[in-house]
Amino acid sequence: MADLKVSDMVNSLDLSTTEKVDEGLLRIAEKEAEIDARLESVLSKQCHIEARLSSIGRAMATLVIVENDSNKLNQQIVNTAQLAESVSAKVRRLDLARCRASECQQRVHDLIDLQLCSQGVVKAISDEDYEKGAGHIARFLAMDQQLLKRTADDVQGSITSVSDAVKTLEDATEKMKDLISKRFDEAVQSDDLASVERFFKIFPLVGCHRIGIEKFCGYICQKLSAKSQKELRNTQDIAKAERRMHLAYADRLTAVLENFARVVEVNQPIIEAFYGQESNSLLDMVTILQRECDLEVKNLLLEFNKHRQIQYRIKQVNESAQRSSGAGSNNSSSMQSLGHYRKPSGGSIDKLNPKDIDAIIAEITVMHSRIELYFRFMRRRLQVNAETCLQEADAQKKILNEYEKIVNRCDLSRQMQEILSTYLLFERYFMEESVLKAIGLDTYEAGQQCSSIVDDVFFILRKSIRRALTTQSINGTCAVINNVAACLDGDFVAALKAPLKSGYPSGYIDLAQAYNAIQTSLQQGKLHSSDADRVRANFIVQLNNADMSTEYIETLWQAMEQEIAGTFPSMSAVERQLLDSCLTELKNVRDALKATVDFGIQQLRSSAIRPRLNPWVDEFLNYSHHLTEEELATYEAGETFVQYFIVQLDGLLNSFKNALSPRNYDALVSILATEVTNRLERAIKKSTFNRLGGLVLDQEVRALGTYLTGATSWSVRDKMTRLSQIATLLNLDKVAELNEYWNPENNSDMPSWRLTSNEARTILTLRSDFRMEDIKRLQL
Amino acid sequence: MEDYKFLFKIVLVGNAGVGKTCLVRRFTQGLFPPGQGATIGVDFMIKTVEVEGEKIKLQIWDTAGQERFRSITQSYYRSAHALILVYDISCQPTFDCLPDWLREIQEYANSKVLKILVGNKTDRDDREIPTQIGEEFAKQHDMYFLETSAKEAENVERLFYEIAAELISQARSKDGSSAAAAAAAARQADTGSSIGLSSLSAKAAQSNCCGGSGSGSSTSQAG
Repeated sequence: MADLKVSDMVNSLDLSTTEKVDEGLLRIAEKEAEIDARLESVLSKQCHIEARLSSIGRAMATLVIVENDSNKLNQQIVNTAQLAESVSAKVRRLDLARCRASECQQRVHDLIDLQLCSQGVVKAISDEDYEKGAGHIARFLAMDQQLLKRTADDVQGSITSVSDAVKTLEDATEKMKDLISKRFDEAVQSDDLASVERFFKIFPLVGCHRIGIEKFCGYICQKLSAKSQKELRNTQDIAKAERRMHLAYADRLTAVLENFARVVEVNQPIIEAFYGQESNSLLDMVTILQRECDLEVKNLLLEFNKHRQIQYRIKQVNESAQRSSGAGSNNSSSMQSLGHYRKPSGGSIDKLNPKDIDAIIAEITVMHSRIELYFRFMRRRLQVNAETCLQEADAQKKILNEYEKIVNRCDLSRQMQEILSTYLLFERYFMEESVLKAIGLDTYEAGQQCSSIVDDVFFILRKSIRRALTTQSINGTCAVINNVAACLDGDFVAALKAPLKSGYPSGYIDLAQAYNAIQTSLQQGKLHSSDADRVRANFIVQLNNADMSTEYIETLWQAMEQEIAGTFPSMSAVERQLLDSCLTELKNVRDALKATVDFGIQQLRSSAIRPRLNPWVDEFLNYSHHLTEEELATYEAGETFVQYFIVQLDGLLNSFKNALSPRNYDALVSILATEVTNRLERAIKKSTFNRLGGLVLDQEVRALGTYLTGATSWSVRDKMTRLSQIATLLNLDKVAELNEYWNPENNSDMPSWRLTSNEARTILTLRSDFRMEDIKRLQL
Repeated sequence: MEDYKFLFKIVLVGNAGVGKTCLVRRFTQGLFPPGQGATIGVDFMIKTVEVEGEKIKLQIWDTAGQERFRSITQSYYRSAHALILVYDISCQPTFDCLPDWLREIQEYANSKVLKILVGNKTDRDDREIPTQIGEEFAKQHDMYFLETSAKEAENVERLFYEIAAELISQARSKDGSSAAAAAAAARQADTGSSIGLSSLSAKAAQSNCCGGSGSGSSTSQAG
């Protein structure tokens, strides 16, 4: 490699000139000196390396000794391990022996206990000391029965004593079971609560968990049934005493459910303590109690339906629904049912007053929520129970699933669904009728922008949704929200839209027409104009109402979203989606309301703005736009077109300014600006101008723009752009000047052109003093 | 996140036990859960499908068939884009109830709602309602008709995909009509400007006799 390097170096040298050769020589010499130095240093290390090598040789000898030693150590370790192995084997054998010994001891204990128990149990039974006897039996049952049999076989000699004892105890168990059952029944008969509880605790000792639960529940059910029957009979009296007549049955239902809940609450610790080994015990108890609960609630609801005339009222509601749907077939349902409402409600007997069912609806919601709470309570109890009795999550889950099955199958759930169905029917009726009533009683106070209908209707709807939330039912809440959306979309929007549809009565087109109208109204003995005024006011109010409602709906939607989140803190994902989807319906109604507002504004445009605006703008055509200096002076001295126009516009806008809601007023100004600019543009295109005429036009357009911009908070400048650009074109000194304006880089303060180059040319031709060739020559 | 072009709501109705839930499960999860318990109130599922290259979100409302849930289920009719009315081909009473269901639909649903009659459980041997009878009933009441088996997954996909396709074409024709209106308006605007142009060229001819027509034509060409 060094060679290579040298030859490379030599090759790389440039030997063409003497100087270069010298320089090469110098570099070679340098290289040589460097290599010499390196050789020197390598050689100097030689002795050091040799010393190291000899020391390694010496170390080799020592290593041999170390190897021998470690071999010896290894041998010792192997020996020790063998020894340890043999010792631990002995220990294992010892342990086994000890185990057997203790097993043996256990068996001996069992045998002794067996003997004791067999002797004790007979005595205990004869002494009627059931706890003691049951304790013996429990001890006996805790023994391994198979083992006992084997023991009996093993000790052939004393076979009799062991199998006798077993037999005695088996007999005693049977006897005890019978006895306890009998005593329990006797206690039930004599209504001896202490004995009932005493024997209830004994059942699990003799291995009769299921029987114990069944018997005890039977007893409790009997007690509860008697109690609730008595209370049911006295429902009205109790309610009267408590001054809660309107909630009499809800209170009774609450009491019934509370009774059952209390039984579970009180007995749960007892069951866990005495029946703990049977994890299903509490579930068994709940299952049995549920059957009785179903029965009692059913009786209660029968009473409720009878006293509150539920069936009759359902029939009334359904009939009125059929009537309105029958009316709906001829395509004017809202008006028809409105008419129906306006009939004095006292007069029609079969018509249900929504106020009458208001209290019943409240009672039903309470009932429904109580049942929901009852199920929730039971669920929680069972969960706690499962968690204390069972370790594995799977087994805990199984218990809860089992309970869900019971809930789904039980009659109480079915009753609950019936209740909810009734509630929804009534709630819808209440809501629809109340909304119709609010529409019918719509009053407008002078000076207000909206009438009572908006506040009233949204108050009713909010009340309905809130009440739906108190049922604690997500399905019910969703249904009510759907109904609210339907109600808004139907009756409410129709009521707002009806006056908008008939249009905004504009003023009289000319005097002759007005004169004729007054003549006819005088002849008919009524003042026609006040009628039109009322229609006009109504139109404006409903337009404002629609606008206001879009805001209210948003508020309602947000408020309800919060309240729902508060009422159902632990919703599942599906339930969330369900509610969200229903709430979205409210948003859709808001869009319908916005469309109504747009519709109304368009109506205003066609009936209030256009007919009046057009003659004003057309005035423009009556002015000459070919002005001399003197004419200009005279024109400016008198009332100019724009002054006249602004006065007229101001008059028109002022008549709406206070009447319309701010958003509607802005919308009105916006369409007014559009109309003005369109119409004025057309008028301009029909006229021709000279230099001064263009100047005047430019001033007038600016004045108009300033006025319209000032008329509203919302910017209309954008709408004026095209018109002011036309005025700019007509105000040019020379055609060629346009080139300066046309290019965007030349005029940063001016918005981009809204006119096409052709339109610009067309407009320039309106200037009679501009020559066609100049216009054509423009490079646009 | 939710990139879909259309959202359609489909509501399934029909007597208890005709297999509404099974149809929905089969379609949304590809399952046929035997021993399905009765639905309580309404159940709600979402599936996004692709039809004609468009992502469509289907919100499927599976309603309870039992009478006592009627006041809950009715409230969902109004916002539905499509209503699937299901009966069990092996159970005459479920077919006999169809007129009642139609009355309810008439009362609560949008009049333009898409209605589909579905005879479910074609896998059963004990058919009681011949296909033809179902078909005729559907025709009489202006409904689409299909027989399905949720168990064998027969026609289930087809049912929902055809509904989606039909709803898209309905939505498109609505869009289309507004687009057509816009086009018409644009056309009108065009003619308006061309009128302006012709008047301009006429004026130009008046003011400048020589070569006036030429200038007019050049202006209109530029337009």
